[in-house]
Amino acid sequence: MDLNLIKKLVRIVDTSGVTDLEIEENGLKVKIAKKIRNSQIITQPQFAPQTSLFPHHTSSEKVEETVISTGESAAVMHEIKSPIVGTFYRAPAPDADSYVQVGDDVAVGTVLCIVEAMKLMNEIESDVSGKIVKILVENGKPVEYNQTLFLIQPS
Amino acid sequence: MFNKILIANRGEIALRIIRSCKELGIKTVAIHSEADADSLHVTFADEAVCIGPPASKDSYLKIPAIISAAQVTGADAIHPGYGFLAENASFSEICTESNIKFIGPSPQMIRAMGDKAFAKDTMRKNGVPVIPGSDGLIPDINEGKKIAEEIGYPVIIKASAGGGGKGMRIVWTDEEFEKAFQTAQTEAEASFGNPEVYLEKYIENPRHVEIQVLGDMFGNVYHYGERDCSVQRRHQKLIEESPSPALDIQLRNKMGEAAVLGAKSVNYEGAGTIEFLLDKNKNFYFMEMNTRIQVEHPVTEMIYDVDLIRQQIIVAAKRKVETKPQKPNGHSIEFRINAEDPSKNFRPSPGKITSLHFPGGFGVRVDSHIYQSYSIPPYYDSLIAKLIVWGKNREHAINRGIRALEEFTVEGIKTTIPFHLQVLQDSRFLSGNFDTSFLDKFEFKE
Repeated sequence: MDLNLIKKLVRIVDTSGVTDLEIEENGLKVKIAKKIRNSQIITQPQFAPQTSLFPHHTSSEKVEETVISTGESAAVMHEIKSPIVGTFYRAPAPDADSYVQVGDDVAVGTVLCIVEAMKLMNEIESDVSGKIVKILVENGKPVEYNQTLFLIQPS
Repeated sequence: MFNKILIANRGEIALRIIRSCKELGIKTVAIHSEADADSLHVTFADEAVCIGPPASKDSYLKIPAIISAAQVTGADAIHPGYGFLAENASFSEICTESNIKFIGPSPQMIRAMGDKAFAKDTMRKNGVPVIPGSDGLIPDINEGKKIAEEIGYPVIIKASAGGGGKGMRIVWTDEEFEKAFQTAQTEAEASFGNPEVYLEKYIENPRHVEIQVLGDMFGNVYHYGERDCSVQRRHQKLIEESPSPALDIQLRNKMGEAAVLGAKSVNYEGAGTIEFLLDKNKNFYFMEMNTRIQVEHPVTEMIYDVDLIRQQIIVAAKRKVETKPQKPNGHSIEFRINAEDPSKNFRPSPGKITSLHFPGGFGVRVDSHIYQSYSIPPYYDSLIAKLIVWGKNREHAINRGIRALEEFTVEGIKTTIPFHLQVLQDSRFLSGNFDTSFLDKFEFKE
């Protein structure tokens, strides 16, 4: 089976709401499943869910990939967190290229993204060198203080 | 009407504001520091945004973070509550510049009433009785001594830029004047960077009686009677009640009219409180005006049947005050429950609440953000609940207060509930005949 195809399928499952995907081709079957864990945080009454940009943190979702290719999920990731409240942008301008992509190597000081607050563009730099493993926020979405933006595998 | 309000505060007042917003059908955004992620106001708001680390200066006082949070959530108004940025003129200004309605007064109004000498002067010019004193700042010692003799000792020297008891000196005789003047100036320079002082007659052991006002943009200003806040420890209020045992109908009308006059003279909009000192002869003097909602607003709500937070929002949305004052009904007392140990000089007692039961029943109201298994963060003030009772008269309210305080159960931390119960047995408190020196003479028995 084509490894690139499998990687594409994994990305589809990862970035969409799909939790299970099964494909059969030429007698070979591939099944990809997403595990969702709810961690119980507080012993307080549960309240109605909100549909908003910032739903409360009464439970957190840890999304892990059960993936055919191994190795990536075992390592300890370094989190890049937002130091301010604002809007997350992948690129310096709407029509420009993104600062980084998944898989890119970065060094200390490499600009990863912009968080815009009150019309000021704040460049967020990496504080480690390593490889971008995951980008956790969509372009143009709001972020809060200390929200994780990137996962970097330190080198 | 506003679509979405961001509450720039925490704790019980944030929850209070959320409640009035919900009743008006307005969406709410809670902001919080990392230490408040499990706070009740975060849970009950429609949306929540973490804006910074625990320290207030990096979160609840951080203007850019709060404005940014309003922008990313699309809030069209901000309610500042009390404390924090509620009387910060810059914040009011930045909100306006960012096209967000600040639910409170304009920056000019905040500056005007924040300048104590100016506020006093404005009131005096408009016929509101003020404490006799120097006409503005004292230029030098000799001038000061002359004015002190005119006013009559004892006098108090106060820093113009000051507060919190700094840059203040009480002078009993003219021999002491020179030294006191110099010391006050030095202290004022050190504390506020401004040595300017003014002079006032010192009123010994006054009662602290304040009048609640509401104004709208149409020039309507109403008063909702008084609150007696004389039970204070180190200038912090602990028990407030309405009506004041010291006021009769005539005095209430006089003070209420003076307050309305003062508020009208500055075209006041929103909720405000005019604080007066009441001396032993029932003379009242303007002390200062607070241009925000106050902690003790619930006792007025109980007596005048008015939702003051709701009125703040409505007025800010360019509407008329909904609830005009009617005849007051009954007697209401508020007890501030702090996470402090009264047997250890009110030492703060943060920690985890292991068991909690709020009192209830007829005439009992609890405004609080605490819940069982909540951990009180050590970074903020110690107010954890307000217990407000209503009764047909003062005696009835006190009895109900005792009943409710005895039912109020908080375990895992120390609270001031035992202190309040002892005050309610004190003969001076029960007589209604007390002033701001009451707690100086009160001893908590362990």
